[in-house]
Parts: sequence; structure tokens; C-alpha cells
Amino acid sequence: MNDTLEVRITVNDSPIVLEVPLTETLLTSLRDRLQLTGAKRGCNQGVCGACTVMVDGMAVRACLSLTANCEGQSVLTIEGAGADPAIAALQDAFIEAAALQCGFCTPGQLIAARALLAQNSRPSIEDVQQGMSGNLCRCTGYNRIIDAVRKAAQRLHP
Amino acid sequence: MNTGLFRPASVAEALALLARLPEARIIAGGASLVAMINARLVDPAALVTLAGIEELTGIAEAPGGGYRIGAMVRHRDLALQTRFGGTLAVVQMAAVQIANATVRNMGTIGGAVAHADPGLDYPPALIAADAKIEIAGPGGRRQLSAQEFFVDWYATALQPGEMVSAVHLPAARPGVGLYHKLARVSGDYATVSVALTMAHDGEAIDTRVAIGGCGPTPLMIEEVNRLLSGRPSAQDLRRAGELLQDAADPVDDVRGSAEYRLMLIPRMLARAYDEARVRGGAT
Repeated sequence: MNDTLEVRITVNDSPIVLEVPLTETLLTSLRDRLQLTGAKRGCNQGVCGACTVMVDGMAVRACLSLTANCEGQSVLTIEGAGADPAIAALQDAFIEAAALQCGFCTPGQLIAARALLAQNSRPSIEDVQQGMSGNLCRCTGYNRIIDAVRKAAQRLHP
Repeated sequence: MNTGLFRPASVAEALALLARLPEARIIAGGASLVAMINARLVDPAALVTLAGIEELTGIAEAPGGGYRIGAMVRHRDLALQTRFGGTLAVVQMAAVQIANATVRNMGTIGGAVAHADPGLDYPPALIAADAKIEIAGPGGRRQLSAQEFFVDWYATALQPGEMVSAVHLPAARPGVGLYHKLARVSGDYATVSVALTMAHDGEAIDTRVAIGGCGPTPLMIEEVNRLLSGRPSAQDLRRAGELLQDAADPVDDVRGSAEYRLMLIPRMLARAYDEARVRGGAT
């Protein structure tokens, strides 16, 4: 089917008009049309979390969102999140704690951690494990990620 | 034109679209449907999104107690629910264990029950809670017990042109509701799950058990519920486990062999039952 749909969305504060097939995912639109490659395509099944972005303030899987279904919504990716104080604190803490090695999962980890901190400003170790269980990392063994998220939380809410 | 994305503003409009476009699929949260599109299991030419239908959102208290949960209520909203006490805690406890926080922001209860994957967490919990599924169709609304609604692997009692509009929970009964899930890793589908409600009505104890992940639909057996109500002996509990094992029809898959699943049933039943007795203050 060659029919495309016109979709108006906001990406990182810029209004954008896209022409997409019905079943194109937000992840494909971000990566292949807008060259925003921070969100990664890992499993494309909603399991790995590498594609996590914010849509209207909620962390979602870009691979499980259809672009056509995001009409009128506001998308925030890691590329547009640098000015966000929570993301900035998390980035610093990830670097200090060496909470990444290859970095493939890191954009998704940062967005998921931001969503967790918005809901729980001082998470326990278990809260981080639960809250971020949907973001797989094959390098760190997770302990450094947990340390980084809690360090960022401490700095944001001393 | 019968391709594209359709955005009805009411259930009536959605039903009219389904009647006009028999090949269209409904999209709720997308968590299962889009994963299936990505895996090339489905390739819908037309989608009807329920996102703009006000009536399908929100959790409303019913006049006689109980709740009406709109089909588009997200797993997140049920996982964070603090109103579900007593036996209804089984539903909240199942919602908390669905996938992970990000997917819970997306998936909906209506989408989950209509998808009817036997590894899902809601179906056994809704059966144990004695929930009803509200179906909207060309002939109006009807309600089916959750037990009648799930009919086979990925198959429900929904007829062409119908949609799930809500899930109705009965009034909470004093007592315990719990959901135990054994999964390979956090957020996976259940290898085996046990949903159990234990209602205390004075001296009387009324227990309902549903097993997930062990066949095409969740397993509930009246004889098992009867054995586990009141004050069952250790022999009754063993017998209940055997009855469920006999009736189960699990498959070998990546989550475990059928044999392993059968072995888990009585063990997980006993664990859930013991926890419910302790939490319910029974001796």
C-alpha cells in the first residue's frame, strides 16, 4: 500500500509535518526521516527500552508508537533534552559512575530515569530496579546505572 | 476510502466504522498490535484508534459498589490504583507486574483482554475477581463474565463488528486478592501465574483461583474453588492442585516445557493459598 498520511507533531519543540505510511513507527520516523538517532532500534518489540522517548510528558516506546497515531502530540528525544535539568543531572551522574560502556542503551536509560525521577524524587535501589526494569543493558551489570540514577536524584533534591 | 487511520469520537462512531470497514483493526494503546506489525504478523490497511473516545477513559465507581474501568484505561493507572482493597487487590497486583513502567504507560486493559494472549496478567486476575467484560456492538451493549469471554488461544467471544468498551469489577469483598507470577525475567509473560481471591464473610471463606499460562485460556475449576473455600485440609489443597494439573493443557515454549509448567501449578497454588491465609489473618 502506497498511501501515506500527513501527520503534524512537535519534535523537540519544533513543529513538524510528516508524510508516513499507516504502519510506520515513531522510531522509524525519528531515525530515518528526522535523523534523530539517539533513540535506538534494539528489539523493535517493546522489550529492550533502547527506543524510549517522551510523548506528551510520558515515557513510551517509540517502536510501539505509530507516527500517524501521534497527531498533535509532543515528542521529546534525547537530542532535545539537554536543557532539561533532570536529564543534565543524569548525564553527569552516568559519566561519573561509568554507567555506560557501549552507550547503545543510554539514551533510553536516561529518558526512563527521568520518568522515574518525575514520579519518585528519591528512589531506593529497589525502586530503580523496578522503575527501570524495562531498559536492558548488556555492558554494566546495572549496578552503576542504579548508582548514577540515585546520585542524580540526590543532587536534584538535596 | 477504506485505508488509513480513523479517529472516532464516540463508541457509536467506532462501531459504524467497524461495520463499514470489516478489514479495519482497532488500535488501543498499541503495545501488542504494533509489536505484531513490527514482527510482520499483521499488516492492517485501516486502523480505528479509540484514543479520542471520552467514554472509554477513566475508572468510575459503580452505584452498588464495584468499578467500571474504561477500555482505554492504561496499565499504569491500574498499577498505581489505591482504591482496590480486599479481594480486588488481585487486579492491581496483576497490573503492577505487566511488562515494565514504560509499556504500562501505553497498554490498555481493553486492548489486553481483546488480545487474549494466554501469558497476559489481566485474564486470570479478572476471572479470580469475578469481573465482567462489557462489549459494544451493532446490537447494543452486552456483558460476559471474564470466564466466558476468553474462549481459546488469542480468541475471545467478540463477534465481528464488536469491541470491548469496559471491564466491570464487582464490589470489593473483605479479604485478600493476590497475583503471583513466575516469569524468566522481570516483565516477561507469565510462565505460570496464579490469581487468587479469598473473601471473608464472617466465618465463611470463599476462595476463587485462576491459573494463567497453562493452556489456551485461564483455568478455573468450580471444584477447586469449593475445595479451597472454608477450612480445607492439606489433602484438599493437594487435591485442588491435582485437579488443576489434570485440566491444564500447557505447551512447550521458550518460557518452559509443558512438564515444567504442570510441576509448577500445585507449588504455586500452595504458595499463593498460604500467603492468602496468612494475610487474611486465618490460622
